[in-house]
Amino acid sequence: MEFNIVRQDSYSRGELLLRTFFGALYIAAPHVIVLMFIGIWANIVHFIAWWAILFTGRYPESFFEFNVKLLSWNMRLNASLNNLVDGYPAIGLSGSHPGVSLRVTQPESLSRAKLLLRTFLGIFYVTIPHGICLYGRLIATGFLQMLSWWSILFTGNIPESWFEFNVGTLRWTVRLNLYMTNMTDVYPPFSGKRNPS
Amino acid sequence: MTQPIALPQPSEVTKREKEDAMAAYLMNFAAWGAGLPLPSLNLIASAIYYLINRKKSRFVAFHCFQAFSSQLPTTLINMFGAGMFIDFAIILQRPLPKLFWPYVGFAVLMNLLYVATSIYACVLAAKGRIYYFLVFGRWAYAKYYGPNAVPLEGAAERPNLPPPGF
Repeated sequence: MEFNIVRQDSYSRGELLLRTFFGALYIAAPHVIVLMFIGIWANIVHFIAWWAILFTGRYPESFFEFNVKLLSWNMRLNASLNNLVDGYPAIGLSGSHPGVSLRVTQPESLSRAKLLLRTFLGIFYVTIPHGICLYGRLIATGFLQMLSWWSILFTGNIPESWFEFNVGTLRWTVRLNLYMTNMTDVYPPFSGKRNPS
Repeated sequence: MTQPIALPQPSEVTKREKEDAMAAYLMNFAAWGAGLPLPSLNLIASAIYYLINRKKSRFVAFHCFQAFSSQLPTTLINMFGAGMFIDFAIILQRPLPKLFWPYVGFAVLMNLLYVATSIYACVLAAKGRIYYFLVFGRWAYAKYYGPNAVPLEGAAERPNLPPPGF
């Protein structure tokens, strides 16, 4: 899995203020309304994919592509709402953003045993430990987002380490999402780094 | 002169087509996935899936159409039963008619039969094969292959044949 957001040389103060005061109206609202309906479809797709993996040991290719596109869309929206990129995030599964990239390689086969393990015990060995760590990290991310907001307003930029930390949080959630939706058998690392050792 | 349409054999169907065709029958259980106990949700999911896939290969479109159309009778039976229950027990607050429970038994039987047939068709589709449902199989075949469809010559095994009568 490769997820990255390119740090811009400078950020627009005008867009920052526009997003802050009207972002909920012109970015979040239209995206969330569409995503809500697509989310119902995504639930159906996950459910059917679960059975497909159980019987064939493989995630159906077209469903996998759909999920990657949906995840990519979510990340575009998140990156924009968290002031990590400028520009309006494209609505739709086929949309893209020059600064946000997500590439997921489909595994040739998935383990049925791991599928059942994740389904019935995933809450204990994935959700709870990752949830606790991510909760702490999200508080730090929120704090850094607030500082980044002032940084963009005064300097037109975000310090690289803050930016990387916030992108890392999104990367962590992507890895967790991929694992819990049975798109990979690789246990997500407790890290937001691009290549955790 | 109309060009003959090749009826694909399992070895000619790609893995992706097999998966997409298989998923068409799994859409019959979509309501469980969405967590909404609506008798018509499976039909809506199948219709959406058919609309997404109808321009893909004939093999996938055929299975999607068959899975969608074959749901119509059971959906109508379920909706009628649910409607009768809501009408008498909730709106009118009157005892249910004597025929209600035999009707429920009939509906359960039809649903079980349909689920079993769908699973069988799903397994065959995953292998690249075609199973024809009663009535709806012929309808889907006529829509996507028609009388000009022929099994490809030269294939060692040809398990996919037109339905009887075509």
